[in-house]
Amino acid sequence: MEEYPEELRTPPVTLASLVGCPELHPLISTHFLSEQPPINTLALPDFSKISLFNKKRDPDSTATSPSPALGILKRDWLLKHRTKLPSVLAALFPSHHLAADPAHWLQLCSHLDSIKTVIRARNIKFAVVVVVQTNADEISEDRMIALRKRAEVDAKHVVVLNPNDTSELKQTLHRLASTISELAGAFYREEGRRIKQRIEKKNVSSVELIVRYCFKVAVYAEFRSDWTEALKFYEEAYHTLREIVGVTTRLPAVQRLVEIKSISEQLHFKISTLLLHSGKVAEAVMWFRQHRNAYKRLVGAPEGIFLHWEWMSRQFLVFGELLETSSKIIQGISPIILATSSKPLTEWEYYSAYYYQLAAHYLSEKRSALELTISMSETSNEIDNVADSVVPSVYVGQFARLLEQGDKVDMLPLTDEEYIRYAVSEGKRFQDSLEIIVLLKKAYESFNSMKIQRMSSFCGFQMAREYFAEGDISNAKQIFDSIASLYRKEGWVTLLWDVLGYLRECSRKNGTIKDFVEYSLEMAALPISSDTGVRRDTGPAGPANLRQREIVHNEVFELVSGASGLATIEHPSNLKITGDESLQLEVDLVSPLRLVMLASVSFHEQTIKPGASTLITVSLLSHLPLTVEIDRLEIQFNQSKCNFFIANAKKPQSVEVSNGIQHHRTERAPSLSLESNKWLRLTYDIQSDQSGKFECLSVIAKIGSHLTICCRADSPASLDSLPLWTLEGCVQTVPIKDPILVLSGQKSTQVEEPDPQVDLHLGASGPALVGEIFLVPVTLVSRGHDVYKGELKINLVDIKGGGLFSPRDSEPYATDSHHVQLLGISGAEREDDSQLYSDKIKKIQQSFGLISVPILKNGDSWSCKLEIKWHRPKPIMLYVSLGYTTYSNELIEQTVHVHKHLQIEGQTAIVLNHHYLMPFRRDPLLLSKNKQASESDQSESLPLNQKNVLIVSAKNCTELPLRLKSISIEVEDDAEKTCSIQHGGEELSNPSLIVPGEEFKKVFAVSSSMNISKLKLGTVCLRWRRDLGIEEQSAYTSTLSWVVTKQKLPDVNVELPPLIVSFECPPYAIVGDPFTYYIRISNQTQLLQEVKYSLADAQSFVLSGYHNDTVHVLPKSEHILSYKLVPLVSGMQQLPKFSMTSVRYSAAYQPSNSSNSVFVFPSKPQFKASVSTNSRVESVSNEYIL
Amino acid sequence: MATTACFIIVSRNDIPIYEAEVGVAAKREDAAQLHQFILHAALDIVQDLAWTTSAMYLKSVDRFNELVVSVYVTAGHILYILDYFIVEIKIVFMLLHDSRNDDGIKSFFQEVHELYIKTLLNPLYLPGSRITSSHFDTKVRALARKYL
Repeated sequence: MEEYPEELRTPPVTLASLVGCPELHPLISTHFLSEQPPINTLALPDFSKISLFNKKRDPDSTATSPSPALGILKRDWLLKHRTKLPSVLAALFPSHHLAADPAHWLQLCSHLDSIKTVIRARNIKFAVVVVVQTNADEISEDRMIALRKRAEVDAKHVVVLNPNDTSELKQTLHRLASTISELAGAFYREEGRRIKQRIEKKNVSSVELIVRYCFKVAVYAEFRSDWTEALKFYEEAYHTLREIVGVTTRLPAVQRLVEIKSISEQLHFKISTLLLHSGKVAEAVMWFRQHRNAYKRLVGAPEGIFLHWEWMSRQFLVFGELLETSSKIIQGISPIILATSSKPLTEWEYYSAYYYQLAAHYLSEKRSALELTISMSETSNEIDNVADSVVPSVYVGQFARLLEQGDKVDMLPLTDEEYIRYAVSEGKRFQDSLEIIVLLKKAYESFNSMKIQRMSSFCGFQMAREYFAEGDISNAKQIFDSIASLYRKEGWVTLLWDVLGYLRECSRKNGTIKDFVEYSLEMAALPISSDTGVRRDTGPAGPANLRQREIVHNEVFELVSGASGLATIEHPSNLKITGDESLQLEVDLVSPLRLVMLASVSFHEQTIKPGASTLITVSLLSHLPLTVEIDRLEIQFNQSKCNFFIANAKKPQSVEVSNGIQHHRTERAPSLSLESNKWLRLTYDIQSDQSGKFECLSVIAKIGSHLTICCRADSPASLDSLPLWTLEGCVQTVPIKDPILVLSGQKSTQVEEPDPQVDLHLGASGPALVGEIFLVPVTLVSRGHDVYKGELKINLVDIKGGGLFSPRDSEPYATDSHHVQLLGISGAEREDDSQLYSDKIKKIQQSFGLISVPILKNGDSWSCKLEIKWHRPKPIMLYVSLGYTTYSNELIEQTVHVHKHLQIEGQTAIVLNHHYLMPFRRDPLLLSKNKQASESDQSESLPLNQKNVLIVSAKNCTELPLRLKSISIEVEDDAEKTCSIQHGGEELSNPSLIVPGEEFKKVFAVSSSMNISKLKLGTVCLRWRRDLGIEEQSAYTSTLSWVVTKQKLPDVNVELPPLIVSFECPPYAIVGDPFTYYIRISNQTQLLQEVKYSLADAQSFVLSGYHNDTVHVLPKSEHILSYKLVPLVSGMQQLPKFSMTSVRYSAAYQPSNSSNSVFVFPSKPQFKASVSTNSRVESVSNEYIL
Repeated sequence: MATTACFIIVSRNDIPIYEAEVGVAAKREDAAQLHQFILHAALDIVQDLAWTTSAMYLKSVDRFNELVVSVYVTAGHILYILDYFIVEIKIVFMLLHDSRNDDGIKSFFQEVHELYIKTLLNPLYLPGSRITSSHFDTKVRALARKYL
């Protein structure tokens, strides 16, 4: 695009001319340039220069003249209108010329006359500017009219300008500019119409002139920004031009075509620019396609073909550039255009890169055509002197010979031969390949940035080929490498073959022997079996078939075996392996050389004992077309002691290699020839002494004296990950015959630890009790191994998996947050000598512990105790593991592990219970109790001012006897004294033994006299420990700590009972002996209480008195009901059932059963001693109370 | 019969599994060598286009000078082989040709699709691997003579 002249590339700008008052010209012209649309100004310093615009004798003007046109477009016509020929002339006159002096006025008039004569011939429009110096300068109306008449201009075309009046200046200038542009528009319109008339009259002598006129009309339209008309006439010109291709005979054939093509190129450029600027991308693309199709076949004479290709290339390049610049402005081409168009455009056609790529393609066509032409015209030597004098002629697309004869310069027409010679010499000057590379690079980068990989690699391939032809090896190699990776990934083998062929040549030229060998091997191993049917021998790779693979194979192996180097006649090569130089190729898991050699290693067992031997199978596979003879294989392991060699028995010299290094085992194999696509399987036994992972790292094959291929070992099981295309054509694809190992064989095995010879014993007795510190003795006894660097790891694990840590309890009490907690480790028995050492590592956490074990010789033992405390009853698993080494040597890290575990139950030792009792045969009416019966609330209520009994019982829930020291109730300190508790803090004099299942009870008396509703009783505190059996009596027991179990008593309600019913009857009765049964109803309130009562009959008694009645009990007094009862039956008998209803509270009330029975003796009992009798009766009655 | 035609079947992961030059004329060698490159480059478009339409025959997707790339995409399908199954993604048939015979190309593609399915039914053929059957090759060339 840059090679086009400026006036063609930019839209035309109106040209106006200024004359007179030269000091104002800069001001006016800068303002005009900033106008929208801008106006260019041609400033003439004084009126004498007007004659510049004088019309010359122009053959063009005589349109009707019969002489045929010499060309289609004049080269400088557009430039003339852009820079020389103004559309408007503005004359500037100072105001005083108008006003004062008649001499001035005369001069002014003469100026006007001369201007008028000049512009009339050219149709140039005229405007007058009167320059006033001050606002005070008044110009008389008469003078102005005179001036207008003289100048023959309208009033609106006379502008008064005052350069000193800053406020008005801008506005005036603007007015001037609009006047000028209006006049210019009129000028261009008239000019356009004038030429259009010539076309319409159809009296034009030749078709060329029609093209010229259309072009002119379009340019005039462009001058006044009428884009549609411009487009219309450009297209008209274009089509007309296309018609005359076969018609005109004005010039010799080749030059004729050149002229037409260059004109159509200009027209096409204009059309494309206009279309793209108006955003019609799809139309522009369609237009370009038409343009290309129209001229594609106009190749022309055979010796001028290269001109055609060059022209085509330029079309693509220019359109690509236009598309690129416009796509920056127009964001995003909508793909919808693709779908709607009837003749669908491919997506490519919207990418500028597509055009660059094709431009490059045509340029390479041009190059080859040019080379052909040059070779044909080799003999003629006079090219240069002809070419010197050939210059572009006045018409676009024409060339002429410049003939200088003294001062006289003459243009002579050329013959076709001369022209071709000229064009060839011009063409030689350009370096096409550089141009091609630039174009392809643009396309390559552009496609790459759009992530269109395949297209970009296509461009890259062409570019790299160009680099290669140019001899720029490093660039070529870099690009070839990057595209080869894509083809490798996608498995386009034949494409890869071509690229690799180039790469091979690159490395041959560079002399990088390693690359050369790698590329050659990869090529030879590519799975190409047969030709696809095309004879393709363009690239250095040669045809892609089996024979060529074999050739490549042989070539590379000759090289590495050091046979001769590659110094053949056609490749004077610098590739040579000399002396002891060696070449090692690495084949890792992603290398393309995996096709060349693939090593699959499989251990036959997944775990082995140290020192025991197992089998290992090494399988090798090569896709090379010919059999490869391997001299020696080396198998490398992660335990380098186990590395071994496999030597080829057929090649005796290759066994001893590196004699300085430690001696490795060497096996001999009868044959190590690696056939094409066939697994070579070798099985050997192997053993390892060191425990841990035992892995085969790599297999190194030595081929010839120089080449080694190091293959990373692969498990047979992981071979599936290979891309499918690399394995095809394989006869057998299994590396091992064993069907199980094929699926599961691994390249590594696990060597087990040696068996431990240390006993680890956990001695725990029975279940643990919540609250106590439970001791687990751990004993280590060495039986054959010395223990060095021993470490004991302790882990507590919840069996149910719930975790020993409950987040709900994770409050500040760190100790309570664990249900089971490892408190510490005590009593390492050889503390005296190992104190220092064992302190070094001692880590105790809530459920994890780590301690170090001192050095133990064979036969020694060591023990310690783990202190574990349960906070909740929970079974746990205790894991203890010992890790040690058997050698004191630091270097050998061979640890042996012993694991033990033990399940320990945690139990709750003692369950506390409590309940309250009212005084015997005395029932208060508790209103809240009645209410709560329906609501089933369990909280207890106690009557106020009564003496209540609290019984606390402790039950042994374990299977072990326990010793109980005390039960006490501790009142919280801060709580106010709300009640009195008797026997609160007493201790048992002798710790009492509770056998499993037994219950221990203690009675407390509780009374409250304070008028509160809630009673806080405090906490029951229990001190206990395990019973030690026989040792119980020893002094040792006194030092034992007691376990304290605490349980808070729930709060109880206290209320004042309105009525209290108490029964009075003798402690016992005798059959047939009557006694009196009193029921005392006492009213505790200040109110009169109405009470309905009833007494049911009882079978065992004969009864006298009211069964039912209603009584009134006076405030703070009591009412006594008395009945006479005669017992009839002996034994424990229920007294007649009494029930009562308080009317005021509408509360029914029944005394409890326990307080309502009496023992009836058959006859009067005989008691020996009154004291004992009393106590007996007391105890009996006591029993019933409980 | 077309003067130039290069036919290729592309399987999953864009790997070509079958390729054949089915044209009659021995063209200029330079162009012949580029055929595969052109087809490969056209895969870029096919990838985008295949998911936008449900039609199998995508007509001509790319042009290179006089050569046109026509594409036929099979529907993705699942093969059940005894217990396990193999999910086969779309197979792309690509033809680079210079003839304008649209109907013929379509018929050619359909017939080749049928042939391909027959090949798939062969228990010894591993789906996705290269088609090496000479019978398939002969048939494809015969079809090319018939339709192109």
